[in-house]
Amino acid sequence: MDATDIQILIVGSAGDGTIAAGNILRQALAEAGYKVISFDVYPPEIRGFGKCIARMRATIEQAYSLKQQSDVMLSLDDSHAIPHVAEVRDWGAVLYESKPVANAPQGHITGHIRPGQIPYGCAIREISEKATGANRSRNIVALGYLAGLYRLPREAFHAIIDRQFKKRGAEVASVNRKAFDEGYAAGAGAFKLDDVAFGPPKPNVVPGTVVEMINGNAAVVKGCLDAGIDCFFGYPITPATTIMERLATEMPRHGKRLVQTEDEISAISATIGAGFAGTRSATATSGPGLSLMQEMLGLGTMAEVPSVVFVSQRGGPSTGMPTKTEQSDLNSALFGGHGDAPRIVMAPTNVEGCYRCAGKAFEMAEAYQTPVIVLLDLYLSNRYETVAFGQKSPFEPDVNKRPRKQDLGAGYKRFALVEGGVSPRAVPGDAGGMHIVTGLEHNELGRPADSAEMHLAMCDKRLDKLKGALVHPDFTVAKRFGAMGKAAVGLLAWGSTFGECLEAMFQAEKEGIDCSAMKVVMLSPFPEEAVSAFMDDCAAVLVPELNHDGQFARLVQGTLGRKVVKLTRVPGVPMRVSDILGEIRRLAGRNLPQAAE
Amino acid sequence: MSERHHVIVGMGITGNEAAITLRRREPQSRITIVTLASLLFYNRYDLPQVFRGKHDWREFLVHPPAFYDDNRITVRRNSRVANVDPLNKVMTLEHKEDIPYDTLLVATGGRGWIPEELAEFRPLMQGFGSFEQAITVARALPEGGGRVVMLGGDMIGLDLARTLIDTGHRVTLVAGEQTFWPHQVSAERRPAFVAALETMGVEVVEQDSVGGVAQIAQGAKGLPARKVVFRDGSELMADVVMPFYGIQPAIDFMGRTGVDVERGLLVNPELRTTDAAIWAAGDVCQIWSQEENRYRFYYGWRNVRAMGEVAAGNMTGGNDAFVADQDEKLEIDAEGRLVSPFWEYA
Repeated sequence: MDATDIQILIVGSAGDGTIAAGNILRQALAEAGYKVISFDVYPPEIRGFGKCIARMRATIEQAYSLKQQSDVMLSLDDSHAIPHVAEVRDWGAVLYESKPVANAPQGHITGHIRPGQIPYGCAIREISEKATGANRSRNIVALGYLAGLYRLPREAFHAIIDRQFKKRGAEVASVNRKAFDEGYAAGAGAFKLDDVAFGPPKPNVVPGTVVEMINGNAAVVKGCLDAGIDCFFGYPITPATTIMERLATEMPRHGKRLVQTEDEISAISATIGAGFAGTRSATATSGPGLSLMQEMLGLGTMAEVPSVVFVSQRGGPSTGMPTKTEQSDLNSALFGGHGDAPRIVMAPTNVEGCYRCAGKAFEMAEAYQTPVIVLLDLYLSNRYETVAFGQKSPFEPDVNKRPRKQDLGAGYKRFALVEGGVSPRAVPGDAGGMHIVTGLEHNELGRPADSAEMHLAMCDKRLDKLKGALVHPDFTVAKRFGAMGKAAVGLLAWGSTFGECLEAMFQAEKEGIDCSAMKVVMLSPFPEEAVSAFMDDCAAVLVPELNHDGQFARLVQGTLGRKVVKLTRVPGVPMRVSDILGEIRRLAGRNLPQAAE
Repeated sequence: MSERHHVIVGMGITGNEAAITLRRREPQSRITIVTLASLLFYNRYDLPQVFRGKHDWREFLVHPPAFYDDNRITVRRNSRVANVDPLNKVMTLEHKEDIPYDTLLVATGGRGWIPEELAEFRPLMQGFGSFEQAITVARALPEGGGRVVMLGGDMIGLDLARTLIDTGHRVTLVAGEQTFWPHQVSAERRPAFVAALETMGVEVVEQDSVGGVAQIAQGAKGLPARKVVFRDGSELMADVVMPFYGIQPAIDFMGRTGVDVERGLLVNPELRTTDAAIWAAGDVCQIWSQEENRYRFYYGWRNVRAMGEVAAGNMTGGNDAFVADQDEKLEIDAEGRLVSPFWEYA
């Protein structure tokens, strides 16, 4: 391979340390200077049952999605790894335990390795026992073998192992180093036959930035902190839990408050309450939690209170598939709840976007005095990417529209019908800013009022003010990629699936298909103009998304009254680039064989 | 009958030819090849090409990977057979996996034999039985021309010597009993053949004249990597020391099967061992020769390939006897150079 573009797959059982090994590896690759995109799959069970997978792709330039085929697979558990052997490309490598205690029900993995793949057996358990007196370090030995085989810098791994295990004592770190080194020696001593080779990495050269290996939820946390979050109210729910966990560590250091509430309703209620009090507040949940929060979100809309809700989607409905990804809460985010309750809904498409959307969500909640939902999904929440962050926060710390002194006092109109719909907002404690806030329809003072005229005026106000979000400073609501001008096929996508769309677009371009792609970050209010202009240029518009019904496709069709082609999948894992490419070819009138990825 | 499981141990010419024949004769049966190698079947006769810059093992493959998929031949690489239980027709691999078979063909070939007195120096010597070993030797030789000391010498070693000399390396042969193995060379003709080797550019040291090898040691810093010390105190410096003393059948795993073994597995002319479900073919077996009234080995690619075909035919209901098809005569050409039919490969 000319340039480094290597995808590594580690497969094991819960308890094997699969994700831990993947975590060390991706950090080492990132610190060595490679761009990394990574995604873990794990079971809902804690230990001893399900399959764990860590997948990572290391490149010179940042990739947009994982590849369909991996270059290297490391098996920590044959029974789980065997179904994934076919993911490894020809001339790629399969690393496995050569002296298992017992074999998988399907037999040993050597019986499943395809003729074009290169097998590397390593006595992982034996080495672990020799190095550390126990087999607990199997994952570290195997990681060392992989690092040795590909001559990855040993020191980078040492540093990460030390960091990772320091909490458990110097002895634990030292034992794991030893396990790694023994594995490394075995790997370095193996005769390398596959064609996977790491070329020299490209160091970060953007001045004033620091590159971090970070996942979507961590990026959300960083965005929250950089935007000056004051309060967070949450509870554990996969796949959003780590947002709260990280904030729980970070917020007290910044003098901020986090409360673990008893349930979803309490979390959203407290978030809206804190927003009413003038703080930047947020909660995080997943689809089931969003359902429970809908009534209070309606209150947030009616009372015009800033609040931010991060929703990391997973397979549904009901408990559904908690550890599988999906994009099926779009309807719920846009239209959930009762009454005409417009809100801002945005969906980042990559990890950096998680950071930007998180920070901007606070700005917009404040600027347009409304709940803002940031729609993530498990794939994005758990996906690691290398991101270059500036050293200064790009977010405005205060965009509140404050009342003038002369507007305060007895006649203060909290809900004044003003141009643009954003009324100056006083918060508790502001002298002369006392006002009524209720879930009832109200007049400009906030007092209950249900005349047809007032209801219409307030409905207009609550809707109109959101339009500002479409031109909010320093925020991309939609962006086009690929061929500008006329295109045979346009890909219109949202959320995490956009990465796969970009990869498919690049491959289609290589095949000579005029292809273009647009990511839509702002879902409500909908960027009609930008999307319309894009569709004008495309002979056919394909909307790939991870839900059953084509929720975004329906949104586009319903909003613009224009036809799109749906491509929906609900496999619980990211969409396959080849599926998108196949549709592109079909729409472009091509009948080409699938390109190797 | 048509869904039987044929297991072949070994993926050289013999095993590969047998697999192809089995598939042709029984389209429905299961075929599994078990091999210690990491690579698919490649042309070992071409290995000297690594010294001519051919370093990509894929160029040595006889069939592309898809061939095995297309022919539904399962190849289990990196797999060592630990035991065969003929009573239950089950083979156990070293990683504790049992593989049941209906018929078993042992085609493991031979591995380089090293005399007992040199065994302790094994880590300091380089073999030449696989692609990996060939590349290791190539990497150990300096680009401008290195020096190889060959101990023993056999037709595999001498074939390699030709290429090494052609590519600018110096070859010193410590000649002994096995120098022309597997050719049978009489004492009278030996000097002429040794002279032919010298004509080809091989420097020959007769073991008899130096009393044999006393020690192989690592070279001192700044000197070539290896030192061969003879019993008379003389020394040879080399970048690589390679033993070539012929091959011995790789049949350790057959020890508890009860089938008849001499030096190799004993088979009748139809290549069946004394167990009705186990066949053997290639360098691993000794075949009963009615003419010579003894069990004997047959070497050379023509013979071992034919054995693979015959064995597979008989495993699937045939009853053909193996007929040797390999010229075994060592000769000297018009330019005074050695010519061995064992160097031919098509």
